[in-house]
Amino acid sequence: MKTYDIIVIGGGMMGTSCAYYLTQEGLKVALIERGDIAGGTVSHTDGYIGASEKQPGVDSMQGAESMKLFDEMRKTFDYDFEYATNENDDPIGFVYFCDSEFEFEKAKEQVAKNQALGIEQYAVDPYILQQLEPNCAKDLTGGMWVPKDGAVCPFRVAFGFVEEAKKTGLLDVFTRTEVLDIKQDPNTKAVQGVVTDKGEFAAPKVVNAAGCWAPFIGAMVGMEVPIEPRFGQLTVSEKTGKITQNRLALEYGYYLTKFFQDGERPIDPLVKAYNVCLNITSDITGNTVVGGCRLFRGFSIKSEYRIISAVAQRGIRYYPMLKDFNCIRSFAGIRPFSLDHLPIVSDVEEVPGFYMACGHEGDGITLGPITGKLISQYATGKPLQFELAKELAWSRWQGRDIAAYKKKEEENSKALKAVEEAYLASLEK
Amino acid sequence: MLSKDLLVVGAGPAGLATAIQAAKNGVKDITVVDLNMKPGGQLFKQIHKFFGSHEHRAGIRGMDTGAAMLEEAQSLGVDIWLNSACVGFYDDKVACIEQGQPDGTKKIVFMKPKTIAICTGGQENVVRFTGWTTPGVMGAGAAQTMVNVNKVQPGKKIVMLGTGNVGLIVSYQLMQSGCDVVCLVEALPGINGYGVHASKISRAGVPIYTKHTIKEVKGNGPNGRVSEVTIVEIDPKFNHIPGTEKTFEADTVTLAAGLKPVSDLVKLQDIDLVFNGPFGGWVPVHNEKMQSTCKGIYVAGDTTGVEEANTALEEGNVAGVSIAEELGCITAAEADAKRKEIWERLDGLRMGPFGERRAAAKKEVMEQFPGVRA
Repeated sequence: MKTYDIIVIGGGMMGTSCAYYLTQEGLKVALIERGDIAGGTVSHTDGYIGASEKQPGVDSMQGAESMKLFDEMRKTFDYDFEYATNENDDPIGFVYFCDSEFEFEKAKEQVAKNQALGIEQYAVDPYILQQLEPNCAKDLTGGMWVPKDGAVCPFRVAFGFVEEAKKTGLLDVFTRTEVLDIKQDPNTKAVQGVVTDKGEFAAPKVVNAAGCWAPFIGAMVGMEVPIEPRFGQLTVSEKTGKITQNRLALEYGYYLTKFFQDGERPIDPLVKAYNVCLNITSDITGNTVVGGCRLFRGFSIKSEYRIISAVAQRGIRYYPMLKDFNCIRSFAGIRPFSLDHLPIVSDVEEVPGFYMACGHEGDGITLGPITGKLISQYATGKPLQFELAKELAWSRWQGRDIAAYKKKEEENSKALKAVEEAYLASLEK
Repeated sequence: MLSKDLLVVGAGPAGLATAIQAAKNGVKDITVVDLNMKPGGQLFKQIHKFFGSHEHRAGIRGMDTGAAMLEEAQSLGVDIWLNSACVGFYDDKVACIEQGQPDGTKKIVFMKPKTIAICTGGQENVVRFTGWTTPGVMGAGAAQTMVNVNKVQPGKKIVMLGTGNVGLIVSYQLMQSGCDVVCLVEALPGINGYGVHASKISRAGVPIYTKHTIKEVKGNGPNGRVSEVTIVEIDPKFNHIPGTEKTFEADTVTLAAGLKPVSDLVKLQDIDLVFNGPFGGWVPVHNEKMQSTCKGIYVAGDTTGVEEANTALEEGNVAGVSIAEELGCITAAEADAKRKEIWERLDGLRMGPFGERRAAAKKEVMEQFPGVRA
């Protein structure tokens, strides 16, 4: 039987990052993945990284900490992961559009809170907004600018982690290998290794970095993991050249709907039915990628044509010139949505040797590095990268009524479904 | 949202036969879409006469068969949309079609047909070598379309990679059009296609290099076009043997390295696929009715495994009959009788040294059919 210091389950952003930072601590690591490296959510997403898409507090702090690690990685990695920078080698930022006084007020509140935490972001008036994004609509209320947010190529980051970790000689990667069970000491519940379809692996430590599929791994050690897949879909245009000047432009409603805080947006029933909010970027390839939505569709990653129409409509609202371009492709993916909107990153007291690195919803690419770093610190007993990281621990779910969270989530999901059904019924008439 | 009884994707022999056979058996509202300007698929490139027996159109040119089928489909009231691509295939079997308009623009149309036949054919495999993206490197099929359909020469001096029937026939047709075929290159120890085709090439004095492959293509011609081609001998493990290089002046390289089934649309639905080597790649699992594992979706022709035009056409006939049965236009007993007759012809097409291999592959694919899901 193969023996390791630690086994990481899942070859996505979290798993590869954990593998990298754990090997940097001198641990012998087995990375076990059911499919291929970067084959799940990592290859069904865009690659925006930043602190601004997060709620002020531990959420935005972990984003800011992770951005620092990205900055380190782009200097030390031999593997290029297409970190987007301008001529001065600075990241190219994010711009948010506010389409109502309500949204602009919310944005100003967020800016004030994050500035207090030392995170650089600004509320901007319509005039400055036009300087930042000359192609955007001319009738917007205001906006928010985050100069340090940027983008990477997501699967290249995952490959980069693996390649850099392999240099230490401490990493073995097992793809096409499915974990079937986790072996535990019958008395102490401490983990002893994993059983896979390709044989058994022994290790005193196991990391659950299985993203949307983390609940299945958690169940193997008797944990109920409160993570559900949350569906998103993107469309890709033909070559457009540079429509957006910043790395990413979003409507502020994107942030608000993520946390179910949106007010009544002045939107079409179609856009409402599919919970669509604009995020748009002109990619380095010269194509423009437009999204996105947040829906519950189980584990399905099938594109839906009505969402393409809704996304196009939302894109044209903010960038009227988009109406002259064709869509060439659309793809969908699922985000591992944690029911309290925070990832779970820590050890697990009741299962000694078991670690959680999952539930990052739409922030997995941004939070990859900091999560791997934190897990390496938990696994070696070192002090955590930043104090507030304790709030990400699994222990916060101890004593919480997961069923109540699930019920609330189901209600949210039902409410979204009802809007969609009402819309579809209106089409029949 | 348009509703139709039958949508056929692809107006090649399989697609046209599906539409004709369905219409003959009582299916009313049929639309065939094809992304090309002309229907008929590969048939219109095939200026040569077919081999075989009388009922398989022996002695008739492929292009004439295509024209006859097109006329028949139109006389049966089949609606044929050209310059129109099926660009999406969603849940509930909603097809998204980019419909070509008379003024050359395109319009997006959504359609929810009762039944769908996917007859998207095959596509050429590419071979990678240094300089494989140089302008002037193209599929043999592309060269064939240029010379036989559009009546333009793809180049003056041509190196053909591959000596299957496509490589041999297209080489000969290029020569007939006045191109200088410099040589044919084949990785295997022997010529891959029929001897009768190969001897036409040899008689014209064109060398065929077996156990060779292309090492490099240089693009120093006008606008970066191919200027010279270097070939090299290979050992039984396909490794280059240094020192055996030969360089030819040429402006075009055509690749005839086999075809693979086009299964993009199939993959957008919950249809089971299986990998089949002799058929060229991933193919949808189907039964003797040409039903896929997804209810209401039928497959026929090279999409289900790369073969040839007559086989594709007969598979289309089977699909057309089965669709008429599903839609209640004919009884199960009537359909069975019609299918039995067509299958006898199909079995006849899959005989002989080349055919037996295809017959075995077909059997293997059909044996894995798990049943139809709703």
